[in-house]
Amino acid sequence: MTVAKPLPHDSAALHVTGQARYVDDLPLPEGAVHLAFGTAPVAHGRLRSIDLTKVRAADGVLAVITAADLDHEIDVSPSPSPEPLLAGDTVQYVGQPVFLVIAESHLLARRAAALADYDIEELPAILSIEEAMEAGSRFEEGPRIYTRGDAAEAITTAPHSLTGSIEIGGQEHFYLEGQAAAALPQEAGDMLVYSSSQHPTEIQHKVAHALHLPMHAVRCEVRRMGGGFGGKESQGNSLAIACALAARLTGRPATMRYDRDDDMTITGKRHDFRIDYRVGFNGEGRIAGIEFLQLCRCGWSMDLSLPVADRAMLHADNAYFIPNMRVESHRLKTNTQSATAFRGFGGPQGMVGIERVLDHVAHAVRRDPLDVRRANYYRPLAGASGGDISEQAKTQTTHYHMPVEDFILHEMTERLVETSDYRARRAAVAEWNARNDVLKKGIALTPVKFGISFTLTHLNQAGALVHVYQDGSIHMNHGGTEMGQGLFQKVAQVAASRFGIGIERVKITATDTGKVPNTSATAASSGSDLNGMAVQAACDTIRERLAVFVAERAQARPEEVRFEGGKVLVGGEALSFDEVVRDAYMARVSLSSTGFYATPKIVWDRIKGEGRPFFYFAYGVAVTEVAIDTLTGENRILRTDILHDCGASLNPALDIGQIEGGYVQGAGWLTTEELVWDGKGRLRTHAPSTYKIPACSDRPDILNVALWDGANREETVYRSKAVGEPPLMLGISALMALSDAVASCGKAYPDLDAPATAEQVLRAVERVCT
Amino acid sequence: MYDFNVARPGSIDEAVKLLSDEDAQALGGGQTLIPTMKQRLAAPELLVSLTNIPEMQGVCRDGDTLSIGGATPHAVVARDAAAHFPGLAALAGQIGDPAVRNRGTLGGSLANNDPSACYPAAALGTGATIVTNTRRIASEDFFQGMFDTALDEGEIIVSVDFPIAEVSAYAKFAQPASRFALVGAFVARYADGVRVAITGASETGVFRWTEAEEALSQDFSHEALDGLSVDSDGMIGDIHGAPTYRAHLVSVMTRRAVAAAI
Amino acid sequence: MESLSLTVNGKPVSAEVEGRTLLVQLLRETLGMTGTHVGCDTSQCGACLVHVNGDVVKACTMFAFEADGAEVTTIEGMADGDDLHPIQEAFRTHHGLQCGFCTPGMIMSAAALLKENPKPTEAEIRHHLEGNICRCTGYHNIVRAILAASGQPVPERTATATADA
Repeated sequence: MTVAKPLPHDSAALHVTGQARYVDDLPLPEGAVHLAFGTAPVAHGRLRSIDLTKVRAADGVLAVITAADLDHEIDVSPSPSPEPLLAGDTVQYVGQPVFLVIAESHLLARRAAALADYDIEELPAILSIEEAMEAGSRFEEGPRIYTRGDAAEAITTAPHSLTGSIEIGGQEHFYLEGQAAAALPQEAGDMLVYSSSQHPTEIQHKVAHALHLPMHAVRCEVRRMGGGFGGKESQGNSLAIACALAARLTGRPATMRYDRDDDMTITGKRHDFRIDYRVGFNGEGRIAGIEFLQLCRCGWSMDLSLPVADRAMLHADNAYFIPNMRVESHRLKTNTQSATAFRGFGGPQGMVGIERVLDHVAHAVRRDPLDVRRANYYRPLAGASGGDISEQAKTQTTHYHMPVEDFILHEMTERLVETSDYRARRAAVAEWNARNDVLKKGIALTPVKFGISFTLTHLNQAGALVHVYQDGSIHMNHGGTEMGQGLFQKVAQVAASRFGIGIERVKITATDTGKVPNTSATAASSGSDLNGMAVQAACDTIRERLAVFVAERAQARPEEVRFEGGKVLVGGEALSFDEVVRDAYMARVSLSSTGFYATPKIVWDRIKGEGRPFFYFAYGVAVTEVAIDTLTGENRILRTDILHDCGASLNPALDIGQIEGGYVQGAGWLTTEELVWDGKGRLRTHAPSTYKIPACSDRPDILNVALWDGANREETVYRSKAVGEPPLMLGISALMALSDAVASCGKAYPDLDAPATAEQVLRAVERVCT
Repeated sequence: MYDFNVARPGSIDEAVKLLSDEDAQALGGGQTLIPTMKQRLAAPELLVSLTNIPEMQGVCRDGDTLSIGGATPHAVVARDAAAHFPGLAALAGQIGDPAVRNRGTLGGSLANNDPSACYPAAALGTGATIVTNTRRIASEDFFQGMFDTALDEGEIIVSVDFPIAEVSAYAKFAQPASRFALVGAFVARYADGVRVAITGASETGVFRWTEAEEALSQDFSHEALDGLSVDSDGMIGDIHGAPTYRAHLVSVMTRRAVAAAI
Repeated sequence: MESLSLTVNGKPVSAEVEGRTLLVQLLRETLGMTGTHVGCDTSQCGACLVHVNGDVVKACTMFAFEADGAEVTTIEGMADGDDLHPIQEAFRTHHGLQCGFCTPGMIMSAAALLKENPKPTEAEIRHHLEGNICRCTGYHNIVRAILAASGQPVPERTATATADA
């Protein structure tokens, strides 16, 4: 069976030879025009006028477009709250696109874009969470609140209580391939768009709307992205639309890519948060109730902020059964980039909140945080070791009232504690810290329970199109996009397995709105789940027709026909798949089919905070050991052990790649990746020379990754589980390990904020030591 | 980037003539100049490449002095100076990354005098002499503040003479993203005393920490530095670190340099 | 305008370019060789690495005219016809890539390392790759691929842990 084999990435051979093409590599017809945005220089202001004389007169400039030149307001937003392509009479953040330059080359366009003279009446800008709260600057009419039980009461009556607060910084995606798009005008006003985007259907939809066309006149194609991470879920809309407008205007192909600097300044990042908490607990650290105040900085426009903030609320429990919980979430509007999707989509931030609470509680009751975590875990599965017989009937629910029926963290934690040698290493860390003053060590184990499905229920659908050509070769297409995660290969493995043929017989093709319509973004880790099932459905439909065809010929029953090893086994004979296909074609059996899948069981009321938003949970555990230099705050990860649940893995090699990459990205988010804005709302860290992404020497010296071998209880594609986002949250163990190391310096609780840069760690050490 | 004319002289005389034009700019390895020109912070009309001049290349030992051509890339210094002056070679080997080290030059770094660059610490920490096409400049006189040097318009660094230390080491606390020195300390011991040069920390660029030099000249051990510190007044404060953080790192990195040198 | 003559992947190339044309633009735009990627526009990420006279350099931080008379090797020149270079093969089979954008630069960087140090330690590999950013893989498989390409043993990884019944 091709499924579960650790096959390399589908484009590996093209990548290692430099032949794989990204949008900027596409050979465009002669005469293509290049675009650049002129962007706002202040965080908030009334745009009285712009003098574009120098821009228009600049070398190579063909046209300059402002909002006033557009015949209707062009919306680039992925949400019902509109966001204009170009600023109208108000600018809302430093970097907001104000005008579009169309020129003969990328450099000429960029050069011209810098020449505008703005007359802006600067208005007061709201930049921080505190300023926004005070001004009541928010999305939605008020905070969203989810409750279970009576948290205030539980905290009051608990033997102990604590309050605290953690600041959690945002994160820049830094996909190595920046944002890019190209539009080619077709006959009759139609438009073809190539986009580095996770959401070709939205590109199609937005471009059609911008050009006053029905969707059927626009086609969007995506072969691959050089990284996405959520940053290409909505942020690519502007470029694609700009290219389409320019192509329509000039009649020439139009292409646009953001210079890295522009990319970092214009596009949204991970939402930063401040999370305040109050927690009541007993002497063992068993939590009775928590009140969370989650303050989410969304930037100037809504974009995907509502579902992001919702998901942060939905992960305020992480792996823990909190009997009384209140989560109050404020979605704050500030004059900064519009924060957008980023791997985890609010889940990581919510999880950092609860992990901080547990760390704080463990410190207060002076127990190993691992034991306090386990004491608060959801109940184990009925029948699993440690389950109380009388309680087995009662499944626990999350604070949003979803039953937790697949909880495997007790077993996984036990296993990882053993294989990572946690207890001995904790003792060794304590011993080291007793004997060493300058370098201190810390160790922490943190779990992940991440809900899988889009919380907007209607997005949980996918389609596929599969052709079996008359020579037996297969053309496969579906709505998922490839950004390096290996989705294309995994789904091809499914197709190959359904037909019992080798993977080389399956042609993977670019995502194309002309082949599969109305697709959702490749996001929410759902790519394989949704598209794998849709492709499976399409393949099975064709296979069924072939089975019926050969069964009839052989006077056997269709259920008896087997497709294995490139052969079709029926009536005691082994026929070649290719021959069966050819014969079926001659017999006028249809060899093409669409496939469709909609996730079952999910039902979710986001206002009430009740229902079953997720089809299942994906689980993971990580142990990270760190060392800190108490003289400089410098820190490094010494060793990481991970045990992660991918269900029955579709491809262990690709899954391990996601786990390793996700962990390093998560650890980077919480340690070195610091975004800094100045007092005027300008992003100061807009290049890799100032924004520190993990480099090769930053990864842990020892990194052990193992996959938990257990099939998904739910009927997902081959009982696998989603793996795109959950591993990122394993990086939380790095932050907790740093907290542990700092705590060893004294008595006070470290109160370590994220990112825990060297300077932050040093300050925390100084706080704890006094 | 604005366009420009190009010249690739093969001799110092030719280069000097070309650089006498006020719109001409010398090009060494380009690792700083090219990014600067991309941002349009510099727009010379003539670029004079100095990397084709044989007299400006190479590492040459002459008794107690190591003489290095101004156009010698860092990778070459890291390799060829290792046997003669390990502390200096190690510093060169930590600049940037391998690709940067294959292009960036000694002369380019010193002429630019970036307050976070590494080479200025080596030059000042060894009491080097900067040899130009017209004169010899002592390191004390060469560095004149952030991005400012004693060089005249059109003056070229032909080579730099480094007095070889008995022992030396460079301890760098790298700004994690750019790998420039947030604080770098170069410590070198000579028969007549110890020199300590600090880069990355001060708003006026590289400086000698004289208090530390005196203490270390009496007693070359990191304990000799106990209780010594620099004032955070005048230290650089930016998104990478507050002045107090840098001042703190100066003592820490100097101690580490001493420990490494011993 | 500058007239250049250089060798690219063993073939002679002549071109007329502006002084300000970067080597990466010569390769991508003039010669249509898009395997060398522009990742950051600021000389940090290493996606644009090529070899000039055997030394690895950032093609985005070198002018085309500086390569006049030089031998330039790009990712497109690493394979021998249809046969992948051992480093390319190692990256492919050891899963040293995900989105692939940093891959050409990684391979050129690895090739330079192995020429100078045929059996590098893990620490040496990690130090050498300081100028190559990857956002997808976490670098673990990249290091393993380079160890494999150098003919050294690649540390095993445990693939699965069995669930308790």
